[in-house]
Amino acid sequence: MSKKSKNKHLIRLAVQIFFLSLITLISVNHFRSEQGLVPLLIGSPSLHAVCPFGGVVTIYTYLTEGAFVQNIHQSSITLMWLVLGLTLLFGPVFCGWICPFGTVEEFVGKIGRKIFKKRYNTFVPSKIDKPLRYLRYIILMLVVVNTAISGKLLFSNFDPYFALFNIWSSEVTRLSLLVLGLTLIGSLFVERPWCKYLCPFGALLGIFNFFRIVKLKRNEKTCINCKACDRVCPMNINVSASRIISNHQCISCMLCTDEITCPVNNTLNFSVLGRKNPKEDSEKDSGDKIKESISGGAK
Amino acid sequence: MKIKSIHILLAITIIIGGGILLASELDLYNTTRIKSPRKTVEGVYDISGTRGSHTLEEIEKYYKLPPSSVIEAFGLRPDTDPKYFQLKDMKEIFAPVELEEEEYIVETDTVKVFTSLYLKIPYVSDETFYLPEKTVNYLIENDKLTGEEKEYWQGHTFKLEYLDSKYLTASEFFKVVVEEAEEFKVTGSTTIQELLDYGITEEKFEEVTGFKVPDKKSGSVRDFVIDKGVEFGEVKDKFIE
Repeated sequence: MSKKSKNKHLIRLAVQIFFLSLITLISVNHFRSEQGLVPLLIGSPSLHAVCPFGGVVTIYTYLTEGAFVQNIHQSSITLMWLVLGLTLLFGPVFCGWICPFGTVEEFVGKIGRKIFKKRYNTFVPSKIDKPLRYLRYIILMLVVVNTAISGKLLFSNFDPYFALFNIWSSEVTRLSLLVLGLTLIGSLFVERPWCKYLCPFGALLGIFNFFRIVKLKRNEKTCINCKACDRVCPMNINVSASRIISNHQCISCMLCTDEITCPVNNTLNFSVLGRKNPKEDSEKDSGDKIKESISGGAK
Repeated sequence: MKIKSIHILLAITIIIGGGILLASELDLYNTTRIKSPRKTVEGVYDISGTRGSHTLEEIEKYYKLPPSSVIEAFGLRPDTDPKYFQLKDMKEIFAPVELEEEEYIVETDTVKVFTSLYLKIPYVSDETFYLPEKTVNYLIENDKLTGEEKEYWQGHTFKLEYLDSKYLTASEFFKVVVEEAEEFKVTGSTTIQELLDYGITEEKFEEVTGFKVPDKKSGSVRDFVIDKGVEFGEVKDKFIE
């Protein structure tokens, strides 16, 4: 990675650290508030209040009865709409940039990457990996339907995000602590295991990849097939195989783009669908030159 | 148009940050109070929708359950303020008991079962199979149990144990207040009346909180100051300085 690309990568890292710190502070404040202490810097809402997935699980109850399921606040509904709007435009930016639990998985994954080097994130055989990626949709359906029927926030019983940021609370179940532990251990071997296989909110946002307004596009004419984009993708998406990458697992992290990893300018980037890249043709020549240099001039 | 990281950063700031600010202005971003329980198809409030954050006053509003019945049935302090006492506070008052090798806690679901029996509103609990003996006796005395219910609940009772002596009931209340006065500390449950009984003058109260002593002195100091927008942590130690 060049110095320039490292700086670009820092923008996402800064956003991730900001949201991780924000949620940690909210969690600490909630704890302080329960102890009768003064919250620091900001208020002390519960974690449920600042989680957009709360809006998803309560949407049926909200639309049919005008009420929220237990522990869910109006802010969750508002956050849900804002995140869905953001996702409609840019894809699951929430997963790749904002979600503090995804960030924690990613940070733990950095340790795994140091230990296993190139073998990291390649442990799960494709035959198992592919069907497992649809498990999160089943979980999404189960969570939404069961919450609508029971009126209770059942998901928090095994939600590792809630367990991590509420670890001091008696509300955290043993099951969720177990899921948290397994996820963190799993992150040492597989990048973002919770996001890939189990996260119901990620499943919902992932669907937006099929019709998001800003698409991830690969210019086949200038692509040199170096596969750098495939290797860097935390979700193991075969980026180099498509012209428009609409895989349901994409988290819009932008790691694969020519801003960060792809070595050829204007070859792999986010752009508004249907608009031809004006530089495509002019870049064709430079792309061909790079291809020639890599293949020794043979075509 | 090519989208870069900086554009995503701007989008997050504008859509999420701006959206929250706008929603706050429109009163659509409420992170604190959640109100009414859901209704059943019959149009009455569903007991399963009762939350730990509901106060006795809210329970009365939704279900028409008199707060005095909960106070008496669970042996709460007679000066318990229905406006501020939340159902989840039960967990802080009663000690867990071990029944059939499982820890049993008096909490929100216990009150849900009590409400269901008292008001004859259907509610099936998957947690509460035992009730405090005092609660069952209260229901029997007030003729709220059918023969079958009476038979079941009389065989599924346990004795209430208080975590803290200050929650003891009417008969021992006076004694407890005297005992507390020896080592006084303002906590989240200290009432304004207790503060005055300890010897804090109304002038001192006004000096510390910035507000006059309210007419209703049975409410907690914590709830009073929070209601007035003052942080409890900032004032609680100033009373005894």
